[in-house]
Amino acid sequence: MEFKLEAHRIVSISLGKIYNSRVQRGGIKLHKNLLVSLVLRSARQVYLSDPCPGLYLAGPAGSPAVPPPQPGEPAAGPPAGWGEPPPPAAGAAWPEIEPQPERPADPATPRAGDAEPGAPMTGAGETVRGGEVEAAEAAWRRVEGPREAAEGGAGGPAGGSDGFPEGLREARRHCGCPPGAADRPGPLGACPRVDCCCAPRPAEDEPPAPPAVGPRKRGAAGVGGGPAPGSSPLKKPRRNSEEQSGGAAEEEEEEEMETGNVANLISIFGSSFSGLLRKSPGGGREEGEGEESGPEAAEPGQICCDKPVLRDINPWSTAIVAF
Amino acid sequence: MSADIISTVEFNYSGDLLATGDKGGRVVIFQREQENKSRPHSRGEYNVYSTFQSHEPEFDYLKSLEIEEKINKIRWLPQQNAAHFLLSTNDKTIKLWKISERDKRAEGYNLKDEDGRLRDPFRITALRVPKLKPMDLMVEASPRRIFANAHTYHINSISVNSDHETYLSADDLRINLWHLEITDRSFNIVDIKPVNMEELTEVITAAEFHPHQCNVFVYSSSKGTVRLCDMRSSALCDRHSKFFEEPEDPSSRSFFSEIISSISDVKFSHSGRYMMTRDYLSVKVWDLNMESRPVETHQVHEYLRSKLCSLYENDCIFDKFECCWSGSDSAIMTGSYNNFFRMFDRNTRRDVTLEASRENSKPRASLKPRKVCTGGKRKKDEISVDSLDFNKKILHTAWHPAENIIAVAATNNLYIFQDKVN
Repeated sequence: MEFKLEAHRIVSISLGKIYNSRVQRGGIKLHKNLLVSLVLRSARQVYLSDPCPGLYLAGPAGSPAVPPPQPGEPAAGPPAGWGEPPPPAAGAAWPEIEPQPERPADPATPRAGDAEPGAPMTGAGETVRGGEVEAAEAAWRRVEGPREAAEGGAGGPAGGSDGFPEGLREARRHCGCPPGAADRPGPLGACPRVDCCCAPRPAEDEPPAPPAVGPRKRGAAGVGGGPAPGSSPLKKPRRNSEEQSGGAAEEEEEEEMETGNVANLISIFGSSFSGLLRKSPGGGREEGEGEESGPEAAEPGQICCDKPVLRDINPWSTAIVAF
Repeated sequence: MSADIISTVEFNYSGDLLATGDKGGRVVIFQREQENKSRPHSRGEYNVYSTFQSHEPEFDYLKSLEIEEKINKIRWLPQQNAAHFLLSTNDKTIKLWKISERDKRAEGYNLKDEDGRLRDPFRITALRVPKLKPMDLMVEASPRRIFANAHTYHINSISVNSDHETYLSADDLRINLWHLEITDRSFNIVDIKPVNMEELTEVITAAEFHPHQCNVFVYSSSKGTVRLCDMRSSALCDRHSKFFEEPEDPSSRSFFSEIISSISDVKFSHSGRYMMTRDYLSVKVWDLNMESRPVETHQVHEYLRSKLCSLYENDCIFDKFECCWSGSDSAIMTGSYNNFFRMFDRNTRRDVTLEASRENSKPRASLKPRKVCTGGKRKKDEISVDSLDFNKKILHTAWHPAENIIAVAATNNLYIFQDKVN
């Protein structure tokens, strides 16, 4: 649990650095921003390491074919000292994993603490992954529990709590799909139910933690891009829309910065984080490659969190591209 | 005043001259005093020899970017005549400067007065031959070549080749080869820019030519790797001849593992047999014949490993420390925080931490070794990690090529230390 808080803090610090780098004298420093983006990615992986329980609700019983960890992904398990985060391979495997039946899990190996349940992602196979994911899921529920209890008392988003519950609230949609679930291509997406509410929602606006869709749609609309392009855009159009929506996202980011509610920023980005969880050789923004290669984005539910928007979170890369 | 912050320090080939560059684009050159019987203690003292403005701030109108005037690197050329030449670079432009002495002046011109006013030709009744008269020494610096417009990204390194005719300049993504005489073109020898910038995973952090083999150079990356390239093998050296990387220790993984493994400096030994890399917490010595791991690893300030998050917050984790070899390659030196710098003796395996500060060192007094207390009870004279001043960082150090004289830049102060001579 404290890793999640730490990760959250690091994400907000990193975003602040990226934001400030744009006004630095001498221009954007490529090296520093690259390093900051690496930290940002790591922190986000940790932050979103607890998948949503709804992830496993639908789908065929029996284990799906879980691919071994993709080449190029770190074979090492979760780093010691990190405790809970799943290795990147787990993220990558999500689209394939999740239609697992909800097993009566050995509950809660307490994810919240440091005790890493020792399920290293060494490609041991689906059962290992399943167990790990379930443990995370159980921990997630546990976290939710007390917060829900407190919520009544706290009366809604409590600014003092560092935005953390807001992030969680955003994460927990009606269908229980995890944040950014919809943007993960793959036949099973993360919203296995086609009719789930992760499908493009106009503006389900809870002010403190707007769902991922809202601001992004706002951003796209602000640019006049209309509905975001489909999930397998070609590189060129994507870059164009990226630059446009990058600008929009930057404006959003600026707004968020000004309001001081970095948690909002996290939740906005949070829905897009999962795209980066799938690492492939070459690092960086490979989700683009994945999406190009696969006709996986079949789900209508994908549209609300599509790739061009994913790119928005790294405004510096827009500037780099502009070089 | 931040314009005075020293950003690079470099001895010339003989060690008689020491150049510093600062954030304000100025270069200050110090010269070692010659032995003088009447002032026996002044031998070895460095005094200001020349000061000039090398770079000015510029504005790139096309990209709406300001180009900083800060001098990133200075490299001397080997001396070939009475004048001295050095290369200085900021983020975008490299300049070749000629530093020459003038100690004579011609007097007795026919067509002008001593104060330079033109004489009326009709008034001249006799002709005379101008004579050279001694004058106070004047050191002039003049820019002889300007190598511009070859780098899209920020230049981090320059390195003069052992052929004394060419040099390389490296930015985040490319390395260019120049001829010292030719300014209107350079040859791109390394290009790691991906077609799609979103796929960028690493940048070039430093580059250097081999001290003896004019076809060999190395460049380090933000991923903690070093590539050695041979310019004879192909025109574009995107494929390395050797690849130096130490496998990461998985048990020490953290959010900041990538940042602290980024190499901030790479230097060949004088012998050309070894090279040294500096990452955030350590210096490593590599044998050029062994790519799998370094032959030596020296911890500079391992006590900072538990503070990486704070150092990330205050940006210190991005500090780029340099490192240097002693003339005989028997020792290496690098800087740290709190105005501390570290020296490692490779033969005795001993290391020492010293401090560059006015309060703690008097002229001609020996430096006292310092110690950082990493935990538990703090002994007298030790300093605890939490008391370290992270604003006082020593990023740039240089070692005289032949003697045990070192130059240490502490923010805007330059310290020169030397071995006591009996």
